[in-house]
Amino acid sequence: MRMTCEDLTSTGRDNGALSRRRLLQLMGAAATVPVLGSVAGCESPGSTSGGGGGGGGGGGDNLTFVYRGDANQQEAFNKLFAEFNKVEPDIKLRAQGIAADTWGDFSNTVATRIAGGQVPDIIQIATEGQRIFASKDLLEPLEPYMERDQDVVDDYFADIDPNLVEWNTKYASHDGKTYYIPGGYNTVCFWYNTETWAAAGATPPAPDWTWDDFLVAAEQLKAAGVFILPIGSDPFTAIMPWMLTNGGSPLDEDWATPTFDTPQSIESLQFCRDLIANGYAPEPGGAFDAGEALSKGTLAAIAGGRWPVIDMRRLELVDKMAIVPMPQKTGPGSPVGWDAWPITKASEKKDAAWTFIKFMMSKEASEYYASIGGTIVPARLSVANSPAFTDNAPEGTTALSEAISYATPVPSPDRGAEVQTAMINAWDKALSGNESPEAALAQANEELAGLL
Amino acid sequence: MTAGVATPVALGTDSPPRRRARRREALAGWAFLSPALVLFLVFIAGPLAFAIFLSVHSWDLLTPREYVGLENFRRLFSDPLLPKALLNTFLFSLASVVTHVFGGLLLALAVNRPMNRFVSYFTRSAVFFPYLLSWAAVALLWKYVLDPTFGLVAYYLDKIGIDAPNWFVDPAWSLPAIIGIDFWYTIGFTFVIMLAGLQTVPSELVEAARTDGANRWQVFWHVTVPMMSPVLFFAVIITFIGAFQIFDPIQIITGGGPDDATMTIVMFLYQTGFQAFQIGYASAIAILVFVVIMAVTGLQFLVARKWVYER
Repeated sequence: MRMTCEDLTSTGRDNGALSRRRLLQLMGAAATVPVLGSVAGCESPGSTSGGGGGGGGGGGDNLTFVYRGDANQQEAFNKLFAEFNKVEPDIKLRAQGIAADTWGDFSNTVATRIAGGQVPDIIQIATEGQRIFASKDLLEPLEPYMERDQDVVDDYFADIDPNLVEWNTKYASHDGKTYYIPGGYNTVCFWYNTETWAAAGATPPAPDWTWDDFLVAAEQLKAAGVFILPIGSDPFTAIMPWMLTNGGSPLDEDWATPTFDTPQSIESLQFCRDLIANGYAPEPGGAFDAGEALSKGTLAAIAGGRWPVIDMRRLELVDKMAIVPMPQKTGPGSPVGWDAWPITKASEKKDAAWTFIKFMMSKEASEYYASIGGTIVPARLSVANSPAFTDNAPEGTTALSEAISYATPVPSPDRGAEVQTAMINAWDKALSGNESPEAALAQANEELAGLL
Repeated sequence: MTAGVATPVALGTDSPPRRRARRREALAGWAFLSPALVLFLVFIAGPLAFAIFLSVHSWDLLTPREYVGLENFRRLFSDPLLPKALLNTFLFSLASVVTHVFGGLLLALAVNRPMNRFVSYFTRSAVFFPYLLSWAAVALLWKYVLDPTFGLVAYYLDKIGIDAPNWFVDPAWSLPAIIGIDFWYTIGFTFVIMLAGLQTVPSELVEAARTDGANRWQVFWHVTVPMMSPVLFFAVIITFIGAFQIFDPIQIITGGGPDDATMTIVMFLYQTGFQAFQIGYASAIAILVFVVIMAVTGLQFLVARKWVYER
């Protein structure tokens, strides 16, 4: 028997004398509430409104917005939301930050909430989750809203990199419709400590520096007892930058065929393995704290997007750091991932949700968020090149926004989480010396082919 | 109060007041039981029933469920990762049971002797203390301790001329490292159980054995162990069930790697359910875990008839 929401609430209104049978009935009902409620909601997702469930935002009269952010990021977001409420006092925004380690974990948490009947009105979704959320029929096509406010949309799209506009439908949509408004993005560049670099007598890296230049600096830093860079297996900051600067990529442009075992990929992995074997980078598998090592001068650099700026400010390293593109072998390369805002199909407050998205597209919101410590590169070029973004940030910060012109979207097919796991496992095996790069990547390539 | 004449009551018939008293008593019994019963239904029976239901469905959390019959189980038993995950889990469980039972018993024997009260309490607290920490804290702590570059263990091994392995990256060492960390963390629990068990061994039996000329080993083997056997049995069961569900340190430290060397059955379940969004398939794995634990526990109860001494 399936109990409806009305049945569940009615049990609380019965205040007559309790017989044992009645007591047991109530206990049974009480026991069933969380099981059905938490696992399936009052309706199976997808059974109504094309996959939304009955949550309707899960926030009563509030407009709910779910985003990824740790405590620091939530603080910055909350200030932004307070600005929104100044402009739109009638819309009660209920923002929920999820402190997930990765975008994959964030997507999993959101999916679990949706399965539990908590469907937000707006979700901040990164590249990794955009196609899968759209393909599950959870999102509302945005064309009618965009046409309604064409001037706002035109103003926004005219001020963001054309790549971002193209990718927003090419990669984030399964049927050519527009489900998202792209927000900020992150690329990967080389953040180095200028003082540590100088103390080792290394030449500061130029914007077009090469892998060979990198090795020369690594040797000089090693002689000074300093690691040049931690080498890990995170697809965004560790795998893709080295593959892309060598003309490789984990998947083809359509995310349909793996290219993880090409000679370029193998050469990239071998290069990373050699950095560890030669003592230029710490051994993987421990608890190496890059932030602490950077401040102590035992590490010279990290690879990252905009997000390290928060830690750099906390560690008072902003003035000592500088940012340049990653060293290149065949040409410049960087992954790019962007967040985007869709309206859920189940939302009962779609107009209010669109009003909030319009606010997020505004130059004022973008500038304000950048100035209070946003961890992404603002989509608006005018903001990314303005003091709102470059003040209180390392020298060369604009390299992060310039990188979008040569960047490659982080592969995010439907089974993206498994694809990333396969990539990480292969990279780890070779980095640790447990397997040759050729064997590790060939095996992973086969696995990726199965997943795609 | 006056003495009255007892009214004879025919067998099998209750007077109305007595029936009311019995009902009240039954109701009170249910009331006392209800918190545990509700918790059991909500957190154990309910999820188990739902997992069984989900195990015959295909569900990705986002779209409607689809009934697939036994397809998830067919797929599970042909999944190449299953034998690896089961082997790792059984190895971990076996190592955990053996080290905990022997280690816990030895520690308890060491402490359960006349000694300075301060030393006794300090030792007991020190052994039990790690168990009060969270798995997350313990896992991170050991990541530091076993760091291949800066870790304490690598430092001291280097002092004596030994190259420390890269514990969590080398497939040959990662599972033993997790076993060691688990031992450090949970031995306190087994130790407390063993100590409590030792203190229930009747001293007159020990004294009688000694009077009969038994040496220490004979007293331990012929008196202490038989008297402790129910406690040992309990420790074996509890440790096995806990070990078979090992997840936290693996998720935090190795993520099931390197090369699936620490991929346990629950880690496999987690990755299937919450990374690959295959909830039905993950539920089938959960049912398998349940069946294996039940079967092994049942087997232990059968074997226990041969070695557990019931007073």
